[in-house]
Amino acid sequence: MLGFILPLLGRLHPLLVHLPIGILIFGMMLVFWPKKPPTSFNPVIRLAFLIGGVSSILAGISGVIQYQFEGFAWDTVQNHLIAGFLTAIGSFYLFSQIKDSTLFSSKIKIQIAVLFLVLTVTGHLGGNISRGDTYLIEVLPAEIQVWTGQKIEPQKPLEIPEQDWEELAFYDDVIQPILNQNCKSCHNPKNLKGALNLTSFEDLQKGGENGAVIQAGNPQLSVLYAHMTLPLEDEDHMPPREKRQPAKEEIELIHAWITSGAAQNTTLAQAGINKKLVEPFFHKEEIPFYPLTEVPMPSLDTLAKLQKAGFFAEQIQQGSPWLKISCINLPGFADQDWKNLNSLKTQIAYLDLSGTQVTDQILESIATLPHLTVLKLNQTSIGGTQLQALQACKNLKLLYLNATLVDLAKLSSLNQHPSLQKVFAFQTPAGESPNKMKFSFELETGNYSLPKIPTDTLVY
Amino acid sequence: MKSVEKLVFEFEMQKLQKQTRRHFLMDCVAKMGGLAMAPLLLGCDPSAQSASKKGLNLSNRDLNPLSPIAPPLTSKAKSVIYLHMAGSPSQLELFDFKPELVKNHNQPCPESLLEGRKFAFIRGVPNLLGPQANFAQHGQSGSWISDFLPHFSKVADEVSFLKAVHTDQFNHGPAQLFMQTGSARLGRPSLGSWVTYGLGTENQNLPGFVVLTSGGKTPDAGKSVWGSGFLPSVYQGVQCRSKGDPVLFLEDPAGMSRDLKKNLIEAINTVNQEEFKTYGDPEILARINQYEMAYRMQIEVPEVMNINDEPAHIQELYGTEPGVESFANNCLLARKLVEKGVRFVQLYDWGWDTHGTDHDGSIDMGLRNKCTQIDRPMSALLLDLKQRGLLEETLVVWGGEFGRTPMQENREGKTMGFLGRDHHVDAFTMWMAGGGIKPGVSHGKTDDFGFKGIEGQVSVHDIHATILHLMGFDHEQFTYDFQGRPFRLTDVEGELIREILA
Repeated sequence: MLGFILPLLGRLHPLLVHLPIGILIFGMMLVFWPKKPPTSFNPVIRLAFLIGGVSSILAGISGVIQYQFEGFAWDTVQNHLIAGFLTAIGSFYLFSQIKDSTLFSSKIKIQIAVLFLVLTVTGHLGGNISRGDTYLIEVLPAEIQVWTGQKIEPQKPLEIPEQDWEELAFYDDVIQPILNQNCKSCHNPKNLKGALNLTSFEDLQKGGENGAVIQAGNPQLSVLYAHMTLPLEDEDHMPPREKRQPAKEEIELIHAWITSGAAQNTTLAQAGINKKLVEPFFHKEEIPFYPLTEVPMPSLDTLAKLQKAGFFAEQIQQGSPWLKISCINLPGFADQDWKNLNSLKTQIAYLDLSGTQVTDQILESIATLPHLTVLKLNQTSIGGTQLQALQACKNLKLLYLNATLVDLAKLSSLNQHPSLQKVFAFQTPAGESPNKMKFSFELETGNYSLPKIPTDTLVY
Repeated sequence: MKSVEKLVFEFEMQKLQKQTRRHFLMDCVAKMGGLAMAPLLLGCDPSAQSASKKGLNLSNRDLNPLSPIAPPLTSKAKSVIYLHMAGSPSQLELFDFKPELVKNHNQPCPESLLEGRKFAFIRGVPNLLGPQANFAQHGQSGSWISDFLPHFSKVADEVSFLKAVHTDQFNHGPAQLFMQTGSARLGRPSLGSWVTYGLGTENQNLPGFVVLTSGGKTPDAGKSVWGSGFLPSVYQGVQCRSKGDPVLFLEDPAGMSRDLKKNLIEAINTVNQEEFKTYGDPEILARINQYEMAYRMQIEVPEVMNINDEPAHIQELYGTEPGVESFANNCLLARKLVEKGVRFVQLYDWGWDTHGTDHDGSIDMGLRNKCTQIDRPMSALLLDLKQRGLLEETLVVWGGEFGRTPMQENREGKTMGFLGRDHHVDAFTMWMAGGGIKPGVSHGKTDDFGFKGIEGQVSVHDIHATILHLMGFDHEQFTYDFQGRPFRLTDVEGELIREILA
């Protein structure tokens, strides 16, 4: 009946630990920055160290209880416990040293500073236990992470070689990587949430606090699978809703593995796995179309302002910083209107100025867009004299110059562009010229025809 | 029983005895009234997005339902041109070459194929009908295309074939509904409506979803194939007439100048603004917006729907026939619309139902004539999109609502005067090209007679899932709440056809 009391006390540990931290620091502040005549705060300081010591003891007790009930490994909590114990000792020691008349010598100040250090270390170690020891480092920029000596281990998504995929071990090469990526951070020997360890086949077989998580042959009765397929809002859904969710295909593979008998040493072929199930994991060299550079998100106000001014201005994709700007509803756009776009220079990746009043001058402004990937200048009076300015757009891949005045000579200034893949120059002098020139990019000048054939007019 | 309990029991019994039929009825009325009142009260909830003078939380979308939205995922195509051959062309005369069928021409169909099967018109044991066209492989990809489509053979490398599509409806109406709305029953939004709802349209002077028909008739399923179902009706397809004015009443009436019209609309909108200030009903704002859009459409629609301004070589490429209703004109229009930023252009060409009941419905003659009508225009459409770079971001889809049987139709068990094929749901061919499609792929295979898919079978839901994927949606996440549950275009099915994705 009252069995819940101890676990509850244990769970109060994260609350209790803040008492000594707050109170001790309060006392220390009064020592170092008294402001008033030196000894006037001494009774308060004594009290602070007394309460600090007592609350350290209480926090320690609740901590030990939590360790007993929540399945933490000893070597992870060991240092935290020792440091906490030292904090309590230090507090009582200083309580005994400070009298109402004590003037704080530099010796006692050093002792207090040491206590502050121990207190900080205790708190930090505790934080590492509950949040993981990369909690603070994770948010730092990658360069600083390397500098802190942190090995950045990107969570590797499951990848299956297309050749001989049938011969792969179902558990070791497929299921374990899925568990590593999606479950391991909370179910490993150091962090045994639900007393479940998912880092090896043997540990998986042991199950968690409620027994086995795998029921060979029956995914629906296997807790591991069942919890992953609960609705996202469900409290028991795994991984927890705020964590990264596994892909549908990954869950399907777990389903297939359990159905096939959840054995350790079968290969994919022995388990009778259909190629369709593994296909999504085949390694694909996929180069994203838009740049990989990280840039700040565009400000929504600026976007709204542009939209109000008649521009089509949208993100390429929800949550992406890259913008598509088009003047499809703004045929009056001319060179001097460029200033509207200046504040979004870094984010513009797709620019469509087709059918507007722009002239060759605009190319110099366009050249200031570092991440421009698609540029459309169809049906404008662009003659191409400034085209070489686009050499500055190191990400430009598609260039549309249909129904403009560019010719082959002007286009050749774009030759050897680092990223340009295709240039469309249909209905231009370049397209009509009988000469053919070879460029580093593909030039599409169109003018296709379908010659008449006798059957065109034949009616049966 | 204790005495107190006894007393209470007695009191309850007495109360019940005094309760007459009238009391009961009155209670019923009052409580039913209360039930009816509840949703009304909910409707007054100021936190809901409905009418309230203050706290109006209207997005751009509420005022202008067609305003553009960024796709949730990476999109490969920003527009779709869907060429639907209403009536369903024979895959066995166009793309699915079956040498075995040639050998077994006029042999009775094996019983094993017919067991437990029902066909729309075929009765008893029909004879197999060999292909009535000559096939050859074309292009680098070696795709099989028959001599019914000589021009299309030249663009074989641009498209990707799905050779083993299957459906579950063998009548035109339901099958067309299924193909366009994902359900054989009425009431679901069409593919174009879903896409327009999800992405809006780039050109604010044109509708987002345009429908063009040719072949003399509209599809059997009626306008529901481009209807918006439970989505707001603003997302339904706008059918433009293929002859005469594309949209009726866009021209200013005689004696009415454009300025006068502008004054009129401004006056109406001022009155509406006043009305909005009084009642705060967002519907009024939507109406103001619609007036403005109609006014803007007046300029752009006649211009974009006029194919006469296109240069002669383009007219020749498509084989247009200005002034008449034709698939060629519609193909050219489709390109112009997509170029102008229209999201979804749906073409229906009627006249592909080749049962062999008459000359026009014969596999060897009528079908050939139909093919001539679409061969040049659809090939021209691909080439024209390609030379303008539009094929990079436009998805072109071609197909019927089902396929046709490898057996010759024997309506009412009799031999018929012309060669024809019945409706067939097990296997037929569709193709896709453009934005995000790997060109030159032939996915799926049918058995020796072309009766059933044996490899790479894809369902109608799979096709929808793939189209939505290319437009930047996860078909499982793209839902609309209706009647208390989220609805999807693909219902509970649909898988991406990865084999044809670039």
